[in-house]
Amino acid sequence: MKGFATKAVHGPRLRKEAHGALRTPVFEGVAFEFDNARDLQLAFEGKKPAHAYSRITNPTVEDFEQRIRLLADAAGVIALSSGMAAIANTIMAIAGTGTNIVTSRFLFGHTLSLFAGTLKDWGLEVRFADMKSPDSISSVIDASTRLVFLEAITNPQLEVADLRKLTDVASRYGVPVVLDGTCTTPYLLKSRDFGVAVEVLSSTKFISGGATSVGGLVIDNGLFDWSRNPRLTPLSKQFGPMALIVKLRREVYRNFGACMSPHTASMQSLGLETLPLRIERACANALAISRVLASHAKVNKVNYPGLTASPDHALAAMQLRNGFGAILTFDLASREQCYRFMDALQLIRRATNLNDNKTLIIHPATTIFADYTQEERDALVSDATLRLSVGIEDVEDIAEDLEKGFAAL
Amino acid sequence: MRIRINGEERTLALNELTVTEVLKTQNVEMPEMVSVQVNGGFLARDAFGTTLLKDGDAVDFLYFMGGGAGQ
Repeated sequence: MKGFATKAVHGPRLRKEAHGALRTPVFEGVAFEFDNARDLQLAFEGKKPAHAYSRITNPTVEDFEQRIRLLADAAGVIALSSGMAAIANTIMAIAGTGTNIVTSRFLFGHTLSLFAGTLKDWGLEVRFADMKSPDSISSVIDASTRLVFLEAITNPQLEVADLRKLTDVASRYGVPVVLDGTCTTPYLLKSRDFGVAVEVLSSTKFISGGATSVGGLVIDNGLFDWSRNPRLTPLSKQFGPMALIVKLRREVYRNFGACMSPHTASMQSLGLETLPLRIERACANALAISRVLASHAKVNKVNYPGLTASPDHALAAMQLRNGFGAILTFDLASREQCYRFMDALQLIRRATNLNDNKTLIIHPATTIFADYTQEERDALVSDATLRLSVGIEDVEDIAEDLEKGFAAL
Repeated sequence: MRIRINGEERTLALNELTVTEVLKTQNVEMPEMVSVQVNGGFLARDAFGTTLLKDGDAVDFLYFMGGGAGQ
């Protein structure tokens, strides 16, 4: 198996399922029994591939994890209850009180709230840098820095950073780069090819197959020497490149209990099988719609990395494969116009999710950034901006519905 | 030769075997998912087929994706 689509459909086929089932069954059980005490001991020591308790591992969840591992060509994968759980668990495994992380101000609102609010209260310092500028990153990294965090395509600014430059800078300081690949997934961006140590993502979005379930993933690409992280040095001596996965599986992930349910894993494994088809369609639709919007007299500005006019187009074309993502933004004259536009739509749904099968629209300034001060908000998003998450419908129908919005202005 | 596999002494008929061959002969479950330590040091996956084990070596097969410390 070489192709992404083939791997997505068949997975690694690690074992024959009971009754020859072609789809891994949903193992809803909580605990698993052992034939004897010795086998139980070996399982606890990690020397026998057996499941003991579903908060830690489960056969259906493991099947999903192994499918992702195959697609990402990664060393290890852990599936969690949400994308936010994936980020929180990763940060708590790598950093802690008295250390700092370096990140962009362009972050998903809840990620920023986690970093600058929740984790700050636990003694983690968050330092902000311009991910487009290696010098900006160098200027804030020091001996207490534990990771650099960024999103592959920021939301809703749609900024694309040069990952190779960024990982080179971080590498000079012995710091791993953690990338949120929610809007790209391994189908659009193979993060290990750019030196990214860990990819986290919300599998709720593209992977779930149509907003069927909430889930998250931690993907360790196996590139980082975890002995360079003081918290992981002891585990690195014992477990080598698997130190972070072991730290998570045997401590952080286990203790926080944000596990993925077997039912969710089954649905998301099914979603994974059609991921390439859906992403290609959504990306093609997004490119077509961005061109329609770019030539529309009532649109002041369109932002989409697939447009050659985008300042990040060349970089996105170099880093991404198979498409430029399915998120775009466009500016009208004012917030009031944005609201009128949204309210006139009949097909496109007014909702906060993204990378659904359905096309969704939202006014970011008054929703995603509602908790921010006006000054903070102004630095992140315009009051006249609408975000469109383009789905897999017939593109003519999406364009026709957008015209209903324009007709209301 | 005699080697220790996951802490247990085993006698093997041949005097030189690669890690891949030991994985097969010892019926290690789900070899695609196993990580291997030889004498305490981790072995890269692409070295399984070329690393020869010799008398007195200690080999540990560890699983991180499934199993592990539990309830």
